[in-house]
Amino acid sequence: MTKILIPTPLRQFVDKKDTVEVTGSTVGEALNALTAAHSELKKHLYNDEGKLRSFVNIYLNDEDIRYIKKEATPLADGDTISIVPSIAGGR
Amino acid sequence: MIQIQSEAWQAIVSHAQAIYPNECCGAMLGTIDGDVKTVKVGLAIENAFTGVQHERYELRPEDLLKADREARSRGMDLIGIFHSHPDCDAYFSETDLKNSCPWYSFVVLSIYKGQFHHANSFLPNAEQTEAPKEELKY
Repeated sequence: MTKILIPTPLRQFVDKKDTVEVTGSTVGEALNALTAAHSELKKHLYNDEGKLRSFVNIYLNDEDIRYIKKEATPLADGDTISIVPSIAGGR
Repeated sequence: MIQIQSEAWQAIVSHAQAIYPNECCGAMLGTIDGDVKTVKVGLAIENAFTGVQHERYELRPEDLLKADREARSRGMDLIGIFHSHPDCDAYFSETDLKNSCPWYSFVVLSIYKGQFHHANSFLPNAEQTEAPKEELKY
């Protein structure tokens, strides 16, 4: 099983849980399992083309999956996936 | 409504004034009870923007991940982001809107001549097309 840590504002779409456990052999499969079980979450993570929204970063343990194999990054038992937004701004 | 406890607020304002004339940024940790968010910790995070920092800020995702882990380890939630606007008002700019995410409260502090002037909190919508104000108490 893989744990996915859910950011506070998105917990309302996953029965108020802070962590969801899913099965999958890659990060993409795990995220698909998450959004299949909690369909309301999908539009918050993915755009209309089915790609992760521009501000959504996915970390596998301590690493950004863009620098590994993106959504094809393989999972080992006990891995933790985190959903982390990109945030910037200015006047 | 978002209310910021005294100690957290002092930490946020002190950081914004110390970083002036650049923009500061950080995370707000606390609890949520119904419609009321209570900020208990203001966590300063380094502005990672590589250009001129008196007009821009950027949070490294890995720093935000650390803040989320810290919140979880302390039995709290990551509930918002703060940043400062040096020598201008605390509005939510087009740059803020385009580079925000619609998940958190965004508190903006106006710092004039190195001193705190006023603050507002904003909630970007899911499409990132507007960010209405939310009630802020500090």
